[in-house]
Amino acid sequence: MSDSPFLNAEAGMSMSNFLVSSVHDMKNSLSVMASFLESALAQAPDQSAPLYQQTCQALYESQRINDHLIQLLALYKIEQEFYPFDPQEQNLAELADDALSRVANLARSNGVSLEYECPDDLNAWVDYELILGVLVQALHNALHYTRDSVLCLIAADPRGGITIRVEDNGPGFPDFLLRQGTSRDRGVSFETGSTGLGLYFAAVVAGLHRGGERGGSTHLENGGHLGGGCFCLELP
Amino acid sequence: MKIHDLPRPDFSKKSFLVVEDYEGMRGILRDLLGRAGTTRIDFASSGGHALAMLEKNRYDAVLCDLHLGQGKNGQQVLEEARLRHLIAPHAVWLMVSAEKTSEMVMGTAETRPDDYLVKPITETLLFTRLLRQMDKKKVLAPIEQAMRDHEYLRAMRLADQLLTAPNPHTWDLKRLKAELALLSGDLKQASAVFEEALSQRDLPWARLGLARILFQDGQLDEARRHLLQVTGGSRSYLDAHDWLARTLENLGDLDGAQVALERALSVSPHIAARQTSLGQVAARRGDTEAAARAFRRGIELGRNSPQASAEPYLSLARVFLARDENGEAAKVIGQLAGDMKGDSQAQFLARVMEIPIRLKTGGERAAHKLLEELAPTLRDDAHRLPPEMAFDLAGPLMQLGDMETTHAVFTSLLANHHEHPDYANRIRTLFAEAGREEEGMKLVEEATRTALEIMDKGVRLSREGKLDEALSLLREARHKIPTNPRLLLNHAYLLISYMEQRGRDLHLVKEALDCIQTARNLRPHEKRAGELLAKLEQVGG
Repeated sequence: MSDSPFLNAEAGMSMSNFLVSSVHDMKNSLSVMASFLESALAQAPDQSAPLYQQTCQALYESQRINDHLIQLLALYKIEQEFYPFDPQEQNLAELADDALSRVANLARSNGVSLEYECPDDLNAWVDYELILGVLVQALHNALHYTRDSVLCLIAADPRGGITIRVEDNGPGFPDFLLRQGTSRDRGVSFETGSTGLGLYFAAVVAGLHRGGERGGSTHLENGGHLGGGCFCLELP
Repeated sequence: MKIHDLPRPDFSKKSFLVVEDYEGMRGILRDLLGRAGTTRIDFASSGGHALAMLEKNRYDAVLCDLHLGQGKNGQQVLEEARLRHLIAPHAVWLMVSAEKTSEMVMGTAETRPDDYLVKPITETLLFTRLLRQMDKKKVLAPIEQAMRDHEYLRAMRLADQLLTAPNPHTWDLKRLKAELALLSGDLKQASAVFEEALSQRDLPWARLGLARILFQDGQLDEARRHLLQVTGGSRSYLDAHDWLARTLENLGDLDGAQVALERALSVSPHIAARQTSLGQVAARRGDTEAAARAFRRGIELGRNSPQASAEPYLSLARVFLARDENGEAAKVIGQLAGDMKGDSQAQFLARVMEIPIRLKTGGERAAHKLLEELAPTLRDDAHRLPPEMAFDLAGPLMQLGDMETTHAVFTSLLANHHEHPDYANRIRTLFAEAGREEEGMKLVEEATRTALEIMDKGVRLSREGKLDEALSLLREARHKIPTNPRLLLNHAYLLISYMEQRGRDLHLVKEALDCIQTARNLRPHEKRAGELLAKLEQVGG
């Protein structure tokens, strides 16, 4: 970050102010847009009409933009050392409810079965907004690539801490992605057009969650319960 | 495998206030709340409007956007509503924001909302949090009431009772208990909670809590170590930066203190009090440029707000006078008089500050005239002068030959601050430089002795069981020396002993409470104030 032009104090502040205030604005507009699209879907008479499918697609795209804005803004703040990281003891079933509800409409309109498993009394120390961001992004990704089923599994880790897995029954992650892993220094993939933002964000967020000497981590694998791609997040 | 299909809560009997300047968002929240059967929703589009609504109605929950465009922001609305008791003990306050910001972490029980919601807000998020917080407030309402009655021991006992059974609000309760312990001077219990929290996770609020205790205990190096750990990785923990600056200033590291304040201001530049603190540190370092800039910002931010204070105006004028920019100083004082029209204390201070300004701009006669007008008030109510202004005034008063007022001002200053480490020396030096060394020594000695004698006499009388006499002595002393924290706390202590012997009396409780609160405002980090508050609560009736 040392060569960032934003580091200059005055310029940094004004750039940061523009960034933050325009992201506010964009997110306000997006949430209104998304809620219009959702009520349009709810009122649609014919779910097989092309217009219905296009509205679903528009909803997915608007949510993707929202995910990216959240991630960019959080990463910018983390790297500029002003993200207010604030771990709180959080009930994970509640977190899962919130995350799944954000993608439930999309799943329904795409005909994807969406379920989760989590003990009711499982708690963990997490920064709610960051972990929610990671989880929603993983769910969006899984919904996009799955055939017809997405499963979110949250469980206590016998070594201490918790694991969160988002699994699907799609074709799975391509080999090069599995090889690259989610290390923070992987570059933009021109092969797929993926910017890698989501995975980078997840890795940074996992790393911020520390318990004693241990930090959180992420990895990708294929298989799991549904035979497709699995995104795994482990937190101490 | 299962899907949680949450049943919608029933909010048909609940009333809501939605404070939101963005029309689209108002519609979304109305729609969401409507799905739970709510019909009683009021809307406010600005902070001022929200306060007016809160004055008229009691709501079960308030959903308030943090950023409200022009005027007060959501945090200011919350603090003012709490201060004016416009929120019922059971009412939930959820702050809504487009992003997670540094305002959302830390803070105290008085300044934190019950929870934050970061947009986009979904039905699940809104209902889950509302239900959780409504349940929490129901459980905590008796504690909240005790806090409103300033009965922190009772509040702590209630918290302890709740903590014996498992409940979903354990950490909220523990954190609250630690804050209550701090308020009642029980540093050990507060420490225990913070240590326990730190054994779970490196939680910034717990580390800050420990640092505050170490600071109160005078262990400044240890406090600094913890504060550097909290502030090292992130500029976001604003309170921790304020405490770091305070700690470093006390350790004599003014450069470090300035850096700490500047770091916090780079994240959140809109806090008038923090700008003023930065100005003061910069001025002490002799960096008059930075000081003037910070005071100027402090003035702009405080203007027309409930946080408006004469402090940054006076400090800025002082900087200008030191740089011989007398016209600028006069302008600032004119601004103060204009901006704080309704505040008689600010008006008085603005007039007083005009004396050195007139004198420096060659208006000796005008200065003399003004002094003649103000001298009676200065002599009788010298405690109304902030200490630094007494020093501003010293040179001009001597130059104008008014030794009587000079003596009155410094006698009052020393009597009210007899424990201050520097004032006595500064006064002696000041008199010595004016060729009045002996006079200065005598003044310092007599003024300090006055305060000490009253205290000794009070202790002696109460030991002899002459409580009535002791009480009238301290009441009279308070009249003459109203802002000496030690005397105020002795006064409160005496009132408590009095009631322990003769029974609880509502007027005396109020008098003691008033002494303790005044002392606490003067010296916020004095743990004896909390201890006395606890003792006062235990006085049987």
